[in-house]
Amino acid sequence: MSSNKALEVRNLSAGYGDANVLNGISFDVPPSSIVALIGANGAGKTTFLRTVSGLLPMRSGEVKLYGKSLGDMPAYKIVEAGFALSPEGKQLFPEMSVEENLIVGAHNPNARKVRDETKREVFDLFPILKEKRNDPANSLSGGQQQMVAVGRALMAKPKVLALDEPSLGLAPIMVDRLFESIERIRQLDLAILIIEQNVFQVLEMADAGYVLENGEITISGSGQELLANEHLKKAYLGL
Amino acid sequence: MDLLLAAHIVKNGLLIGGIYGGVALGLSLIFGVMRIINFAHGSLLMVAMYLAWFLWKTLGLHPYVAAFITVPALFGLGYLIQSQIISHLFTREKALVVEPLSALLLTAGIFLVLDNLVLMIFGPDVRAVSVDIAYANFFIGEIPVNIPRFIAFVASIVVASGLSYWLKHSNMGRAIRATAQNRDAATMSGINVPFIYNVTFGLGVAILGLFGALLVPFFSITPTLGLSFGIKSFIVVVLGGIGSIWGCVVGGIVLGLFEAVASQFVTATSAAIFSFGLFIVILLVRPKGLMGKA
Repeated sequence: MSSNKALEVRNLSAGYGDANVLNGISFDVPPSSIVALIGANGAGKTTFLRTVSGLLPMRSGEVKLYGKSLGDMPAYKIVEAGFALSPEGKQLFPEMSVEENLIVGAHNPNARKVRDETKREVFDLFPILKEKRNDPANSLSGGQQQMVAVGRALMAKPKVLALDEPSLGLAPIMVDRLFESIERIRQLDLAILIIEQNVFQVLEMADAGYVLENGEITISGSGQELLANEHLKKAYLGL
Repeated sequence: MDLLLAAHIVKNGLLIGGIYGGVALGLSLIFGVMRIINFAHGSLLMVAMYLAWFLWKTLGLHPYVAAFITVPALFGLGYLIQSQIISHLFTREKALVVEPLSALLLTAGIFLVLDNLVLMIFGPDVRAVSVDIAYANFFIGEIPVNIPRFIAFVASIVVASGLSYWLKHSNMGRAIRATAQNRDAATMSGINVPFIYNVTFGLGVAILGLFGALLVPFFSITPTLGLSFGIKSFIVVVLGGIGSIWGCVVGGIVLGLFEAVASQFVTATSAAIFSFGLFIVILLVRPKGLMGKA
Protein backbone atom coordinates (compact mmCIF):
# COMPACT_ATOMS: atom_id res chain seq x y z
CA MET A 1 0.00 0.00 0.00
CA SER A 2 3.04 2.26 -0.27
CA SER A 3 2.05 3.48 -3.72
CA ASN A 4 0.75 7.00 -4.04
CA LYS A 5 -1.30 5.96 -7.04
CA ALA A 6 -4.70 4.46 -6.37
CA LEU A 7 -4.97 3.29 -9.96
CA GLU A 8 -2.08 3.16 -12.41
CA VAL A 9 -2.78 2.36 -16.06
CA ARG A 10 0.25 1.68 -18.27
CA ASN A 11 0.19 1.11 -22.05
CA LEU A 12 -3.12 -0.70 -21.86
CA SER A 13 -4.42 -2.27 -25.05
CA ALA A 14 -7.66 -4.20 -25.46
CA GLY A 15 -10.36 -4.85 -28.00
CA TYR A 16 -12.84 -7.22 -29.56
CA GLY A 17 -12.04 -9.76 -32.27
CA ASP A 18 -9.37 -8.53 -34.67
CA ALA A 19 -9.76 -4.87 -33.78
CA ASN A 20 -7.94 -3.05 -31.01
CA VAL A 21 -10.20 -0.51 -29.35
CA LEU A 22 -7.57 0.75 -26.89
CA ASN A 23 -4.07 1.40 -28.23
CA GLY A 24 -1.77 1.66 -25.27
CA ILE A 25 -3.30 4.20 -22.89
CA SER A 26 -1.59 5.38 -19.70
CA PHE A 27 -2.82 7.53 -16.82
CA ASP A 28 -3.04 7.62 -13.03
CA VAL A 29 -5.79 8.11 -10.49
CA PRO A 30 -4.32 9.51 -7.24
CA PRO A 31 -5.90 8.54 -3.89
CA SER A 32 -8.94 10.59 -2.78
CA SER A 33 -9.21 12.28 -6.15
CA ILE A 34 -11.83 12.51 -8.86
CA VAL A 35 -10.48 11.79 -12.32
CA ALA A 36 -12.59 12.19 -15.44
CA LEU A 37 -12.18 10.19 -18.62
CA ILE A 38 -13.81 11.95 -21.54
CA GLY A 39 -14.43 10.85 -25.07
CA ALA A 40 -16.98 10.57 -27.83
CA ASN A 41 -19.06 7.44 -28.35
CA GLY A 42 -16.83 4.67 -29.64
CA ALA A 43 -13.63 6.22 -28.26
CA GLY A 44 -13.12 3.20 -26.01
CA LYS A 45 -14.32 4.41 -22.60
CA THR A 46 -16.57 1.46 -21.84
CA THR A 47 -14.04 -0.98 -23.31
CA PHE A 48 -11.51 0.49 -20.91
CA LEU A 49 -13.75 -0.08 -17.90
CA ARG A 50 -14.71 -3.59 -18.99
CA THR A 51 -11.01 -4.42 -19.38
CA VAL A 52 -10.02 -3.09 -15.97
CA SER A 53 -12.99 -4.96 -14.43
CA GLY A 54 -11.74 -8.21 -15.94
CA LEU A 55 -14.78 -8.70 -18.20
CA LEU A 56 -12.56 -8.31 -21.24
CA PRO A 57 -8.98 -9.62 -21.45
CA MET A 58 -6.05 -7.19 -21.58
CA ARG A 59 -3.99 -7.55 -24.74
CA SER A 60 -0.95 -5.76 -23.40
CA GLY A 61 0.05 -3.28 -20.74
CA GLU A 62 -0.67 -3.23 -17.06
CA VAL A 63 -3.18 -1.96 -14.54
CA LYS A 64 -2.16 -1.63 -10.89
CA LEU A 65 -4.31 -0.87 -7.89
CA TYR A 66 -2.16 0.55 -5.08
CA GLY A 67 0.81 -1.21 -6.66
CA LYS A 68 -0.95 -4.56 -7.06
CA SER A 69 -1.31 -5.81 -10.63
CA LEU A 70 -4.88 -6.62 -11.68
CA GLY A 71 -3.83 -8.24 -14.94
CA ASP A 72 -4.02 -11.90 -14.01
CA MET A 73 -6.98 -11.71 -11.65
CA PRO A 74 -10.40 -13.07 -12.53
CA ALA A 75 -13.13 -10.42 -12.49
CA TYR A 76 -14.50 -11.25 -9.03
CA LYS A 77 -11.01 -10.98 -7.48
CA ILE A 78 -10.61 -7.50 -8.95
CA VAL A 79 -13.68 -6.40 -6.99
CA GLU A 80 -12.21 -7.96 -3.85
CA ALA A 81 -8.92 -6.16 -4.51
CA GLY A 82 -10.79 -2.86 -4.39
CA PHE A 83 -11.99 -1.84 -7.85
CA ALA A 84 -15.76 -1.54 -8.17
CA LEU A 85 -17.67 -0.40 -11.22
CA SER A 86 -21.11 1.16 -11.45
CA PRO A 87 -21.83 0.12 -15.02
CA GLU A 88 -23.38 2.11 -17.84
CA GLY A 89 -27.11 1.55 -18.18
CA LYS A 90 -27.30 0.68 -14.47
CA GLN A 91 -27.35 -3.13 -14.91
CA LEU A 92 -29.29 -3.90 -11.75
CA PHE A 93 -30.76 -7.22 -10.65
CA PRO A 94 -34.26 -6.26 -11.83
CA GLU A 95 -36.38 -8.68 -9.79
CA MET A 96 -34.49 -8.20 -6.54
CA SER A 97 -35.41 -5.56 -4.00
CA VAL A 98 -33.30 -2.42 -3.62
CA GLU A 99 -31.87 -3.80 -0.39
CA GLU A 100 -31.01 -7.16 -1.96
CA ASN A 101 -29.24 -5.38 -4.82
CA LEU A 102 -27.11 -3.59 -2.24
CA ILE A 103 -26.44 -6.77 -0.25
CA VAL A 104 -25.24 -8.58 -3.38
CA GLY A 105 -22.83 -5.68 -3.92
CA ALA A 106 -21.14 -6.64 -0.65
CA HIS A 107 -20.55 -10.21 -1.79
CA ASN A 108 -16.76 -10.16 -1.46
CA PRO A 109 -15.49 -11.35 1.96
CA ASN A 110 -13.93 -8.00 2.98
CA ALA A 111 -17.12 -6.11 2.26
CA ARG A 112 -19.41 -8.72 3.81
CA LYS A 113 -17.88 -8.18 7.24
CA VAL A 114 -18.94 -4.53 7.30
CA ARG A 115 -22.08 -4.95 5.21
CA ASP A 116 -24.63 -3.42 7.58
CA GLU A 117 -22.42 -0.44 8.31
CA THR A 118 -21.81 0.25 4.61
CA LYS A 119 -25.52 -0.11 3.94
CA ARG A 120 -26.21 2.64 6.49
CA GLU A 121 -23.68 4.87 4.71
CA VAL A 122 -25.38 4.24 1.38
CA PHE A 123 -28.82 4.97 2.88
CA ASP A 124 -27.41 8.22 4.36
CA LEU A 125 -26.10 9.15 0.95
CA PHE A 126 -29.33 8.25 -0.86
CA PRO A 127 -32.22 8.46 1.66
CA ILE A 128 -34.77 7.60 -1.03
CA LEU A 129 -33.23 4.12 -1.28
CA LYS A 130 -33.95 3.52 2.39
CA GLU A 131 -37.57 4.45 1.77
CA LYS A 132 -37.78 2.09 -1.21
CA ARG A 133 -35.60 -0.67 0.23
CA ASN A 134 -38.23 -3.39 -0.26
CA ASP A 135 -39.36 -2.36 -3.74
CA PRO A 136 -38.12 -4.35 -6.73
CA ALA A 137 -35.28 -2.52 -8.49
CA ASN A 138 -37.10 -2.39 -11.83
CA SER A 139 -39.99 -0.41 -10.28
CA LEU A 140 -37.72 2.59 -9.54
CA SER A 141 -37.25 5.69 -11.67
CA GLY A 142 -34.13 6.06 -13.79
CA GLY A 143 -32.44 8.36 -11.30
CA GLN A 144 -33.22 6.09 -8.37
CA GLN A 145 -31.91 3.07 -10.30
CA GLN A 146 -28.69 4.97 -10.90
CA MET A 147 -28.43 5.52 -7.15
CA VAL A 148 -28.85 1.78 -6.60
CA ALA A 149 -26.07 1.09 -9.12
CA VAL A 150 -23.72 3.56 -7.41
CA GLY A 151 -24.77 2.29 -3.98
CA ARG A 152 -24.18 -1.31 -5.00
CA ALA A 153 -20.66 -0.47 -6.16
CA LEU A 154 -20.00 1.33 -2.85
CA MET A 155 -21.18 -1.77 -0.97
CA ALA A 156 -18.11 -3.60 -2.32
CA LYS A 157 -15.95 -1.28 -0.15
CA PRO A 158 -13.81 -0.20 -3.12
CA LYS A 159 -10.59 1.75 -2.99
CA VAL A 160 -11.31 2.96 -6.50
CA LEU A 161 -14.90 3.56 -7.58
CA ALA A 162 -15.53 3.73 -11.32
CA LEU A 163 -18.72 5.35 -12.60
CA ASP A 164 -19.66 4.72 -16.21
CA GLU A 165 -21.95 7.44 -17.58
CA PRO A 166 -23.81 7.95 -14.30
CA SER A 167 -25.90 10.84 -15.63
CA LEU A 168 -27.02 9.05 -18.80
CA GLY A 169 -30.76 9.41 -19.31
CA LEU A 170 -31.39 11.39 -16.13
CA ALA A 171 -33.43 14.56 -15.81
CA PRO A 172 -31.23 17.67 -15.23
CA ILE A 173 -32.32 18.00 -11.59
CA MET A 174 -31.39 14.37 -10.94
CA VAL A 175 -28.02 14.94 -12.59
CA ASP A 176 -27.33 17.83 -10.20
CA ARG A 177 -28.26 15.70 -7.21
CA LEU A 178 -26.12 12.82 -8.42
CA PHE A 179 -23.07 15.06 -8.82
CA GLU A 180 -23.63 16.40 -5.30
CA SER A 181 -23.64 12.80 -4.09
CA ILE A 182 -20.40 12.08 -5.93
CA GLU A 183 -18.79 15.04 -4.17
CA ARG A 184 -19.93 13.52 -0.88
CA ILE A 185 -18.66 10.06 -1.84
CA ARG A 186 -15.21 11.61 -2.22
CA GLN A 187 -15.31 12.25 1.54
CA LEU A 188 -15.48 8.48 2.09
CA ASP A 189 -11.75 8.34 1.36
CA LEU A 190 -11.72 6.64 -1.99
CA ALA A 191 -10.62 7.55 -5.50
CA ILE A 192 -13.27 8.08 -8.16
CA LEU A 193 -12.83 7.50 -11.86
CA ILE A 194 -15.75 8.93 -13.75
CA ILE A 195 -16.66 8.55 -17.38
CA GLU A 196 -19.14 11.12 -18.54
CA GLN A 197 -20.81 12.64 -21.53
CA ASN A 198 -21.76 15.56 -19.31
CA VAL A 199 -18.30 17.00 -19.94
CA PHE A 200 -18.79 20.50 -18.54
CA GLN A 201 -20.22 19.41 -15.20
CA VAL A 202 -17.74 16.61 -14.63
CA LEU A 203 -14.69 18.76 -15.41
CA GLU A 204 -15.85 21.41 -12.94
CA MET A 205 -15.70 18.77 -10.26
CA ALA A 206 -12.72 16.67 -11.39
CA ASP A 207 -9.15 17.10 -10.14
CA ALA A 208 -7.80 15.80 -13.42
CA GLY A 209 -9.17 14.83 -16.79
CA TYR A 210 -8.06 12.72 -19.74
CA VAL A 211 -9.49 12.83 -23.23
CA LEU A 212 -9.75 9.52 -25.04
CA GLU A 213 -9.93 9.65 -28.84
CA ASN A 214 -9.72 6.58 -31.10
CA GLY A 215 -8.30 4.48 -28.32
CA GLU A 216 -5.55 6.91 -27.34
CA ILE A 217 -5.25 9.63 -24.72
CA THR A 218 -4.83 12.85 -26.67
CA ILE A 219 -5.23 15.58 -24.06
CA SER A 220 -4.68 15.60 -20.32
CA GLY A 221 -4.65 18.18 -17.58
CA SER A 222 -6.50 19.46 -14.54
CA GLY A 223 -10.25 19.94 -14.79
CA GLN A 224 -9.86 23.69 -15.20
CA GLU A 225 -7.16 23.36 -17.85
CA LEU A 226 -9.35 21.07 -19.91
CA LEU A 227 -12.29 23.43 -19.59
CA ALA A 228 -10.10 26.12 -21.14
CA ASN A 229 -8.72 23.91 -23.91
CA GLU A 230 -9.74 25.17 -27.38
CA HIS A 231 -9.95 21.76 -29.04
CA LEU A 232 -12.05 20.39 -26.22
CA LYS A 233 -14.37 23.39 -26.30
CA LYS A 234 -15.09 22.83 -29.98
CA ALA A 235 -15.37 19.06 -29.91
CA TYR A 236 -17.21 18.39 -26.67
CA LEU A 237 -18.59 21.56 -25.16
CA GLY A 238 -20.05 22.99 -28.36
CA LEU A 239 -18.60 26.42 -27.64
CA MET B 1 -67.66 -41.74 -13.32
CA ASP B 2 -68.10 -43.07 -9.81
CA LEU B 3 -66.66 -41.09 -6.97
CA LEU B 4 -64.29 -43.71 -5.62
CA LEU B 5 -62.70 -44.21 -9.02
CA ALA B 6 -62.34 -40.45 -9.40
CA ALA B 7 -60.64 -40.26 -6.01
CA HIS B 8 -58.23 -43.02 -7.08
CA ILE B 9 -57.37 -41.17 -10.25
CA VAL B 10 -56.78 -37.91 -8.41
CA LYS B 11 -54.58 -39.66 -5.84
CA ASN B 12 -52.51 -41.39 -8.52
CA GLY B 13 -52.20 -38.19 -10.50
CA LEU B 14 -51.17 -36.16 -7.46
CA LEU B 15 -48.54 -38.65 -6.35
CA ILE B 16 -46.89 -39.20 -9.71
CA GLY B 17 -47.30 -35.51 -10.57
CA GLY B 18 -45.54 -34.38 -7.40
CA ILE B 19 -42.71 -36.75 -8.28
CA TYR B 20 -42.52 -35.34 -11.84
CA GLY B 21 -42.26 -31.90 -10.28
CA GLY B 22 -39.46 -32.95 -7.94
CA VAL B 23 -37.52 -34.63 -10.73
CA ALA B 24 -37.87 -31.51 -12.89
CA LEU B 25 -36.65 -29.06 -10.18
CA GLY B 26 -33.01 -29.36 -11.19
CA LEU B 27 -33.79 -28.81 -14.87
CA SER B 28 -35.70 -25.66 -13.97
CA LEU B 29 -32.94 -24.39 -11.67
CA ILE B 30 -30.21 -24.97 -14.25
CA PHE B 31 -32.21 -23.40 -17.05
CA GLY B 32 -33.29 -20.48 -14.86
CA VAL B 33 -29.74 -19.61 -13.84
CA MET B 34 -27.60 -20.67 -16.79
CA ARG B 35 -30.04 -20.66 -19.74
CA ILE B 36 -28.88 -24.18 -20.55
CA ILE B 37 -31.40 -26.85 -21.48
CA ASN B 38 -29.78 -29.91 -19.96
CA PHE B 39 -30.71 -32.66 -22.38
CA ALA B 40 -28.92 -35.18 -20.14
CA HIS B 41 -31.27 -34.45 -17.21
CA GLY B 42 -33.22 -37.71 -17.45
CA SER B 43 -30.05 -39.72 -18.03
CA LEU B 44 -28.58 -38.36 -14.82
CA LEU B 45 -31.71 -39.57 -12.99
CA MET B 46 -31.13 -42.96 -14.63
CA VAL B 47 -27.52 -42.95 -13.40
CA ALA B 48 -28.72 -42.12 -9.87
CA MET B 49 -31.20 -44.99 -10.02
CA TYR B 50 -28.50 -47.42 -11.17
CA LEU B 51 -26.24 -46.20 -8.38
CA ALA B 52 -29.00 -46.78 -5.79
CA TRP B 53 -29.69 -50.21 -7.27
CA PHE B 54 -25.97 -51.07 -7.32
CA LEU B 55 -25.55 -50.05 -3.67
CA TRP B 56 -28.55 -52.19 -2.74
CA LYS B 57 -27.34 -55.14 -4.83
CA THR B 58 -23.71 -55.15 -3.67
CA LEU B 59 -23.81 -53.70 -0.15
CA GLY B 60 -27.42 -54.40 0.70
CA LEU B 61 -28.05 -50.72 1.40
CA HIS B 62 -31.69 -49.74 1.64
CA PRO B 63 -32.37 -47.09 -1.06
CA TYR B 64 -33.32 -44.54 1.59
CA VAL B 65 -29.90 -45.02 3.18
CA ALA B 66 -28.24 -45.05 -0.24
CA ALA B 67 -29.63 -41.53 -0.76
CA PHE B 68 -26.89 -40.28 1.58
CA ILE B 69 -24.41 -41.51 -1.04
CA THR B 70 -26.33 -40.83 -4.26
CA VAL B 71 -27.01 -37.15 -3.42
CA PRO B 72 -23.35 -36.13 -2.86
CA ALA B 73 -22.21 -38.42 -5.69
CA LEU B 74 -24.60 -36.80 -8.16
CA PHE B 75 -23.67 -33.33 -6.89
CA GLY B 76 -20.06 -34.18 -7.66
CA LEU B 77 -20.98 -35.56 -11.08
CA GLY B 78 -22.98 -32.42 -11.93
CA TYR B 79 -20.19 -30.16 -10.67
CA LEU B 80 -17.67 -32.05 -12.82
CA ILE B 81 -19.85 -31.99 -15.94
CA GLN B 82 -20.24 -28.22 -15.62
CA SER B 83 -16.68 -27.37 -14.62
CA GLN B 84 -14.91 -29.76 -17.00
CA ILE B 85 -17.20 -29.94 -20.05
CA ILE B 86 -19.88 -27.26 -20.31
CA SER B 87 -17.76 -24.44 -18.86
CA HIS B 88 -15.70 -24.36 -22.06
CA LEU B 89 -18.71 -22.90 -23.82
CA PHE B 90 -18.64 -19.97 -21.38
CA THR B 91 -14.95 -19.11 -21.47
CA ARG B 92 -14.68 -17.85 -25.04
CA GLU B 93 -13.38 -14.28 -24.88
CA LYS B 94 -14.37 -14.19 -21.17
CA ALA B 95 -17.73 -12.93 -22.41
CA LEU B 96 -19.80 -15.36 -20.30
CA VAL B 97 -22.47 -15.81 -22.91
CA VAL B 98 -23.32 -19.21 -24.27
CA GLU B 99 -25.06 -20.22 -27.47
CA PRO B 100 -28.24 -22.09 -26.46
CA LEU B 101 -27.83 -24.44 -29.42
CA SER B 102 -24.26 -25.44 -28.61
CA ALA B 103 -25.21 -26.14 -24.98
CA LEU B 104 -28.15 -28.27 -26.11
CA LEU B 105 -25.95 -30.27 -28.48
CA LEU B 106 -23.26 -30.70 -25.85
CA THR B 107 -25.69 -31.99 -23.21
CA ALA B 108 -27.30 -34.23 -25.87
CA GLY B 109 -23.82 -35.69 -26.31
CA ILE B 110 -23.57 -36.26 -22.57
CA PHE B 111 -26.98 -37.99 -22.68
CA LEU B 112 -25.74 -40.38 -25.40
CA VAL B 113 -22.51 -41.13 -23.56
CA LEU B 114 -24.27 -41.81 -20.23
CA ASP B 115 -27.01 -44.00 -21.71
CA ASN B 116 -24.56 -46.11 -23.69
CA LEU B 117 -22.03 -46.30 -20.88
CA VAL B 118 -24.68 -47.69 -18.55
CA LEU B 119 -25.88 -50.06 -21.28
CA MET B 120 -22.30 -51.26 -21.70
CA ILE B 121 -21.70 -51.77 -17.98
CA PHE B 122 -25.05 -53.15 -16.81
CA GLY B 123 -26.57 -54.49 -20.03
CA PRO B 124 -30.11 -53.98 -21.31
CA ASP B 125 -31.82 -56.08 -18.60
CA VAL B 126 -34.55 -54.54 -16.48
CA ARG B 127 -33.36 -54.17 -12.89
CA ALA B 128 -35.43 -53.75 -9.78
CA VAL B 129 -34.79 -53.15 -6.12
CA SER B 130 -37.04 -55.24 -3.92
CA VAL B 131 -37.62 -53.82 -0.49
CA ASP B 132 -40.61 -54.45 1.78
CA ILE B 133 -41.69 -50.84 1.82
CA ALA B 134 -42.60 -51.08 -1.87
CA TYR B 135 -45.91 -52.74 -0.97
CA ALA B 136 -46.73 -50.74 2.16
CA ASN B 137 -49.87 -48.62 2.08
CA PHE B 138 -51.80 -46.37 4.36
CA PHE B 139 -55.45 -45.47 3.85
CA ILE B 140 -57.25 -42.19 3.45
CA GLY B 141 -60.82 -43.39 3.91
CA GLU B 142 -61.08 -46.23 1.42
CA ILE B 143 -58.23 -45.02 -0.77
CA PRO B 144 -54.91 -46.84 -0.35
CA VAL B 145 -51.83 -44.62 -0.59
CA ASN B 146 -48.57 -46.33 -1.48
CA ILE B 147 -45.99 -45.26 1.11
CA PRO B 148 -42.80 -45.01 -1.04
CA ARG B 149 -44.70 -42.97 -3.63
CA PHE B 150 -46.03 -40.75 -0.85
CA ILE B 151 -42.51 -40.30 0.54
CA ALA B 152 -41.24 -39.24 -2.90
CA PHE B 153 -44.19 -36.84 -3.21
CA VAL B 154 -43.45 -35.29 0.18
CA ALA B 155 -39.77 -35.06 -0.76
CA SER B 156 -40.72 -32.92 -3.78
CA ILE B 157 -42.56 -30.45 -1.58
CA VAL B 158 -39.76 -30.41 1.00
CA VAL B 159 -37.01 -29.94 -1.60
CA ALA B 160 -38.98 -27.21 -3.39
CA SER B 161 -39.60 -25.36 -0.09
CA GLY B 162 -36.02 -25.78 1.07
CA LEU B 163 -34.62 -24.67 -2.27
CA SER B 164 -36.76 -21.55 -2.53
CA TYR B 165 -36.01 -20.58 1.07
CA TRP B 166 -32.28 -21.10 0.54
CA LEU B 167 -32.26 -19.16 -2.73
CA LYS B 168 -34.06 -16.29 -1.01
CA HIS B 169 -32.12 -16.05 2.24
CA SER B 170 -28.57 -17.40 1.96
CA ASN B 171 -25.59 -15.52 0.55
CA MET B 172 -24.98 -18.27 -1.99
CA GLY B 173 -28.67 -18.34 -2.91
CA ARG B 174 -28.69 -14.57 -3.46
CA ALA B 175 -25.56 -14.86 -5.57
CA ILE B 176 -27.25 -17.56 -7.67
CA ARG B 177 -30.34 -15.39 -8.20
CA ALA B 178 -28.18 -12.36 -9.00
CA THR B 179 -26.24 -14.39 -11.56
CA ALA B 180 -29.51 -15.59 -13.11
CA GLN B 181 -30.84 -12.03 -13.45
CA ASN B 182 -27.72 -10.34 -14.79
CA ARG B 183 -24.46 -12.24 -14.99
CA ASP B 184 -22.28 -9.29 -16.01
CA ALA B 185 -23.58 -7.27 -13.07
CA ALA B 186 -23.02 -10.29 -10.82
CA THR B 187 -19.40 -10.47 -11.95
CA MET B 188 -18.98 -6.75 -11.35
CA SER B 189 -20.43 -7.23 -7.85
CA GLY B 190 -17.60 -9.60 -7.01
CA ILE B 191 -19.46 -12.88 -7.58
CA ASN B 192 -17.37 -15.75 -8.95
CA VAL B 193 -19.81 -16.60 -11.72
CA PRO B 194 -18.08 -19.76 -13.04
CA PHE B 195 -18.12 -21.17 -9.50
CA ILE B 196 -21.81 -20.27 -9.11
CA TYR B 197 -22.48 -22.16 -12.35
CA ASN B 198 -20.63 -25.23 -11.07
CA VAL B 199 -22.57 -25.19 -7.81
CA THR B 200 -25.91 -24.59 -9.55
CA PHE B 201 -25.36 -27.44 -11.96
CA GLY B 202 -24.18 -29.68 -9.13
CA LEU B 203 -27.24 -28.79 -7.07
CA GLY B 204 -29.65 -29.40 -9.94
CA VAL B 205 -28.13 -32.84 -10.47
CA ALA B 206 -27.92 -33.61 -6.71
CA ILE B 207 -31.74 -33.35 -6.56
CA LEU B 208 -31.79 -36.19 -9.11
CA GLY B 209 -29.55 -38.17 -6.75
CA LEU B 210 -32.29 -37.92 -4.14
CA PHE B 211 -35.12 -38.86 -6.48
CA GLY B 212 -33.11 -41.69 -8.01
CA ALA B 213 -32.91 -43.31 -4.59
CA LEU B 214 -36.56 -42.54 -3.75
CA LEU B 215 -37.88 -43.92 -7.06
CA VAL B 216 -36.15 -47.31 -7.17
CA PRO B 217 -38.45 -49.04 -4.61
CA PHE B 218 -41.38 -48.75 -7.03
CA PHE B 219 -39.81 -48.06 -10.41
CA SER B 220 -37.91 -50.65 -12.45
CA ILE B 221 -34.66 -49.55 -14.04
CA THR B 222 -33.46 -49.71 -17.64
CA PRO B 223 -30.64 -47.79 -19.37
CA THR B 224 -33.17 -46.01 -21.58
CA LEU B 225 -35.57 -44.65 -18.96
CA GLY B 226 -33.75 -41.31 -18.90
CA LEU B 227 -35.16 -39.93 -22.11
CA SER B 228 -38.81 -40.24 -21.14
CA PHE B 229 -38.14 -38.65 -17.73
CA GLY B 230 -36.08 -35.93 -19.39
CA ILE B 231 -38.84 -35.06 -21.82
CA LYS B 232 -41.48 -35.13 -19.10
CA SER B 233 -39.31 -32.84 -16.97
CA PHE B 234 -39.04 -30.48 -19.89
CA ILE B 235 -42.84 -30.45 -20.30
CA VAL B 236 -43.20 -29.83 -16.55
CA VAL B 237 -40.78 -26.90 -16.61
CA VAL B 238 -42.49 -25.26 -19.58
CA LEU B 239 -45.93 -25.94 -18.07
CA GLY B 240 -45.04 -24.40 -14.73
CA GLY B 241 -43.03 -21.47 -16.02
CA ILE B 242 -39.31 -21.59 -16.67
CA GLY B 243 -37.16 -20.88 -13.64
CA SER B 244 -40.05 -20.95 -11.16
CA ILE B 245 -39.53 -23.46 -8.33
CA TRP B 246 -43.19 -23.70 -7.30
CA GLY B 247 -44.27 -23.54 -10.92
CA CYS B 248 -42.27 -26.72 -11.35
CA VAL B 249 -44.23 -28.56 -8.62
CA VAL B 250 -47.55 -27.22 -9.94
CA GLY B 251 -46.59 -28.13 -13.52
CA GLY B 252 -45.68 -31.64 -12.38
CA ILE B 253 -49.02 -32.10 -10.62
CA VAL B 254 -50.96 -30.79 -13.64
CA LEU B 255 -49.11 -33.24 -15.89
CA GLY B 256 -49.61 -36.10 -13.40
CA LEU B 257 -53.36 -35.47 -13.08
CA PHE B 258 -53.72 -35.10 -16.82
CA GLU B 259 -51.95 -38.41 -17.44
CA ALA B 260 -53.95 -40.17 -14.74
CA VAL B 261 -57.23 -39.05 -16.26
CA ALA B 262 -56.10 -39.80 -19.82
CA SER B 263 -54.96 -43.30 -18.88
CA GLN B 264 -58.54 -44.13 -17.87
CA PHE B 265 -59.54 -43.85 -21.49
CA VAL B 266 -56.46 -45.10 -23.35
CA THR B 267 -53.51 -47.29 -22.42
CA ALA B 268 -50.83 -45.67 -20.25
CA THR B 269 -48.34 -45.57 -23.12
CA SER B 270 -50.75 -43.78 -25.45
CA ALA B 271 -51.49 -41.33 -22.65
CA ALA B 272 -48.10 -39.77 -23.44
CA ILE B 273 -49.64 -38.50 -26.68
CA PHE B 274 -52.05 -36.48 -24.59
CA SER B 275 -49.19 -35.07 -22.50
CA PHE B 276 -47.54 -33.76 -25.64
CA GLY B 277 -50.91 -32.42 -26.77
CA LEU B 278 -51.24 -30.55 -23.48
CA PHE B 279 -47.69 -29.25 -23.91
CA ILE B 280 -48.49 -27.82 -27.34
CA VAL B 281 -51.73 -26.25 -26.13
CA ILE B 282 -49.92 -24.57 -23.20
CA LEU B 283 -47.19 -23.26 -25.51
CA LEU B 284 -49.84 -21.75 -27.78
CA VAL B 285 -52.13 -20.35 -25.09
CA ARG B 286 -49.74 -19.41 -22.31
CA PRO B 287 -46.11 -19.58 -23.49
CA LYS B 288 -44.81 -18.24 -20.17
CA GLY B 289 -46.20 -21.27 -18.33
CA LEU B 290 -48.77 -21.43 -15.54
CA MET B 291 -46.71 -19.52 -12.98
CA GLY B 292 -44.21 -17.80 -15.24
CA LYS B 293 -44.03 -14.03 -15.32
CA ALA B 294 -45.43 -12.51 -18.47
